Amino acid sequence: MATTLGKSNSGSAFGRSIPRVEARAKVTGKAEYVHNLRLPGMLHGKVFRSTVAHARIKGIDVSAARELPGVHAVYTAADIMKLVPDPHYGPAFHDQPVLAVDKVRHVGEPVALVLAADPHVAEAAAQMIAADYEELPAVFDEVEAMTSKAVVHEVLKPAGTFPDLKHLKGKRDTNIALDFHLRRGDVQKAFATADHVFEHTFRTQQVLHVPLEPFVTVADPTPNQLVIHTASQSPSFVRIEIARLLGWPENRVRVKVPYLGGGFGAKLYIKLEALVAIAALLAGRPVKISLTMEEQFYQITKHAATLRIKSGVSKDGKILARECEVWWNGGAYADIGPRVTQKSGFTAPGPYDIEHVAIDSYALYTNLPAAGALRGFGIPQLVWAYESHTDMIAKALDIDPLAIRRKNILKEGRPQATGTLMRDAGIEQVLERLAQRMQWEKAFDRGSDRLRRGRGIAIGFKASISPTTSVAIVNVSADGSVMVNCSTVDMGQGSDTAMAQVVAEALGVPVESVTLVHPDTDVTPYDMATLGSRSTFHMGHAVRLAAEDARDKLMKLAQEVGLSAETTPIPDIFRKKYGMQAGNIVGVGSFIPSYAPPDAQGQTDNATPFWMIGATGAEVEVDTETGEFKVTRLVNLVDVGRPVNPAIVETQISGATLMQLGFTLSERMDFDAGQVTNASLADYKIPGIRDVPAVMENEAVDMVQQTGPFGAKGVGESGTFGVSPAIASAIDDAVGVRLTSLPLTAEAVYRGLRANAGRPLED
Amino acid sequence: MRPFELEQPRSLKSALKLLDAGDESVRVFGGATALMLMMKAGVFQPTRLISLRGIESRYSKATAAKDGSLRIGALTTLSALGRTAAVRRRLPVIAATLRTLSNVRVRNVATLGGHLAHADPHMDLPPVLIALDAQLVTAATAGSRTLPVSGLFTGYYETALARNELIAEVLVPDQTGRRAAYVKLTTRAADDWPTLGIAVSLRTDGRVIEDARFVVSAATEKPLRLASVEALLRGAVVNDALLARAGEAAAAEAELIGDARGSAAYKTELLRVHAGRALRQALAA
Repeated sequence: MATTLGKSNSGSAFGRSIPRVEARAKVTGKAEYVHNLRLPGMLHGKVFRSTVAHARIKGIDVSAARELPGVHAVYTAADIMKLVPDPHYGPAFHDQPVLAVDKVRHVGEPVALVLAADPHVAEAAAQMIAADYEELPAVFDEVEAMTSKAVVHEVLKPAGTFPDLKHLKGKRDTNIALDFHLRRGDVQKAFATADHVFEHTFRTQQVLHVPLEPFVTVADPTPNQLVIHTASQSPSFVRIEIARLLGWPENRVRVKVPYLGGGFGAKLYIKLEALVAIAALLAGRPVKISLTMEEQFYQITKHAATLRIKSGVSKDGKILARECEVWWNGGAYADIGPRVTQKSGFTAPGPYDIEHVAIDSYALYTNLPAAGALRGFGIPQLVWAYESHTDMIAKALDIDPLAIRRKNILKEGRPQATGTLMRDAGIEQVLERLAQRMQWEKAFDRGSDRLRRGRGIAIGFKASISPTTSVAIVNVSADGSVMVNCSTVDMGQGSDTAMAQVVAEALGVPVESVTLVHPDTDVTPYDMATLGSRSTFHMGHAVRLAAEDARDKLMKLAQEVGLSAETTPIPDIFRKKYGMQAGNIVGVGSFIPSYAPPDAQGQTDNATPFWMIGATGAEVEVDTETGEFKVTRLVNLVDVGRPVNPAIVETQISGATLMQLGFTLSERMDFDAGQVTNASLADYKIPGIRDVPAVMENEAVDMVQQTGPFGAKGVGESGTFGVSPAIASAIDDAVGVRLTSLPLTAEAVYRGLRANAGRPLED
Repeated sequence: MRPFELEQPRSLKSALKLLDAGDESVRVFGGATALMLMMKAGVFQPTRLISLRGIESRYSKATAAKDGSLRIGALTTLSALGRTAAVRRRLPVIAATLRTLSNVRVRNVATLGGHLAHADPHMDLPPVLIALDAQLVTAATAGSRTLPVSGLFTGYYETALARNELIAEVLVPDQTGRRAAYVKLTTRAADDWPTLGIAVSLRTDGRVIEDARFVVSAATEKPLRLASVEALLRGAVVNDALLARAGEAAAAEAELIGDARGSAAYKTELLRVHAGRALRQALAA
């Protein structure tokens, strides 16, 4: 039956667990990935990388590599600068060179590039390059970086895109890339009068995304355009930044993105694109760089952090004042780290109603691989600290963990630390539903002397990045089928399916009649990026507005030719107008939420377009003889507004939770003088199927985001928030060992048990 | 990874001829799972690899003899070994060990011979085969020899094999009257290399242990039998105190090595506790 615009014939597309549109192509191996792309005349690039953490480059000998038969070219920064005199890029700071200029700042930094038609020849040639370094003192610890004599960048070079970074321009001899401060009330005065003051320091380790598809980019210099095929979460940014580096108009750079084999925040902004683009232009041939799994460890990581929290508390457990100091280890290049420092920094006191708040959050440069965005964007580190701190206070005051949270929870309509009032934030709903599912108020089986059982809960929240723009086009063909042009990248999170559902709902057509045009900056309009759980809300609104625009235009066309759009099949409207199957209706939508930047005290009445809420309850079983423990149950609750697709929402919650479970229990980048000593999946342990807790429950509470498209908001990160502190608290509940550093290891638990028994284990 | 020559001989004899005792860059492989990791890391750059997959099929299966012993061809894949009826029936400890050995993709191609010859102390089957008193038969142009699996390992990634000598078969004697267990302890993800491995084989008469073999691995340079534990157990009556003393003896004798999976001190505590648990598991087998 032909489609009409009447809703009655299609049923609601929104809120249904329809299968993912790309599922069949993926499981049959037919989905398109950049890794499979081969172009005629294409050269393969292999990067020669720094083996030292911080050094001046005295010389690079590429002669042997250049002479190897089959090598097309070997480039260093000197060659890059022939085309791009200032080859530095980055979203917040223009601090990252396409290839190292004069200095290297971390082990693994690209120093030279070999091009060859045969990737094996390129690899062999890269091993023949020798660099001569004058080593400089290096700094690796984020707290030491505050005052260290070793300075990673002589001068700070903010990108100018962010107004709050302007004051840093030209600043010298500091490793502080950004300092964010928030003041509300008077914490010192409140500490002086509080019944109790608690202060704790927490640590998180450096970890990384390890998408199973490593970074890959192909650049193809065509006569009129540079075409970049890349596994990127931000095609629009890549186009703008490459155009800026080359001094070209945007329309001479075309960025195409097929499916991604995972992103998790790794594939944002510029990664390989600048190097590959410039190499292709220098060579005059298509160039491809595919990183190995091992090379990924030097591309982008998640911030290690040190977090100090101090709270003034009344004797009945009311938190009166909180002071947070956070040091983020940003590695050698800022990437988007300064955004983590500010955007995540302002939620550092947690989802609690606290009158007096002071926050100091610092982005630090160190001589480690750069840290950027990773699922949660700094929030899991903060929740780890403030929820552990909350339970340590509760224990000291002999208050139940649920009771202390109920007493302090940030309620609807109350101001958060920035002064922004909480709206459509299901903090209470999530906490209460978690308590219910955990049966918190019922007796709990504490196990045996040897196997002690314990449980813990933790809740966190996150603001959405703001203000950001999404633009979309909805194109209705003469047969009634619909194409959606948008630059949201489906990296496995199911955005193609979600956008199809939103468009189908807005147009009132069956979801099967809607297809997505994958990001191609020649035909898909601007989108800030696929990050921070922003697509469902921002792009969801843009495609909704575009669909409504198309619907209005179709209505008008029907009226013009004297038909009822409600009852006439869409093809008949076109046929009546054009006399045959011809023509298009093109609807356009653009969305940017309102926003007010924070003042000097970090205060604003509009910090975010929506809040994400996530909580986890954990049950563990600890072997008191060895410290070995098992997470036996994880209960994950989130507020995602109205779920667009409940089945995908559930996999987003479980996926986020399991990723954070790895960061909680087993993942850690080990370093020796800045060199990653476990840069492979054999030695860097992500969780496998046997690490999944025996019982895992995931639920989105019944909420509506009034300002969201059909009541929806983002879901990708909320499952990460509570995992680490809930498990640490459960361990403490079981055996009285409180761990303050991630990852939580059996050895750390055992050492705690021995320390408690007055018999500490030797090192 | 650089290109290399690939030879695919059809017989063990021709494979041996292709080996060159003087050239370190020539290697044989079965499943190549360990070799590939070394090649990807650039640690090993072969000029020539010799695939053993095409040699006589009798080296790719396990056969039970009338005397209760089992003869396992060195090219038997770990998953084929785990599926062999005689292994499941007579050597349940091997079948159980294989279930958590690496992952199904590795087990489908990795071979028993390669697993042993690689001599990585984190491998799971070497301590088990030592506890079972298995022997291996080697082949070389000069002739073959038989040696105990415990005699194969001379150090960290080092074996007693000559450069032109291959493992052809593994012989596991009849285990009638014996009970065995292998405890693989991981401290990071479940599919990690073991932090510590403990393999035990006991011959018992009622509550009396007549004979014991007790092997630790993974935290040592090579799998090691602990003589003090075996002596303590021999002729002793099983009770909690004995198992606790066995743990103390193991912790006292073994010199364990610390790494990213745990400090030496912690691994020693794991051994102290899990020694008794491994013995209990064997007694219950």
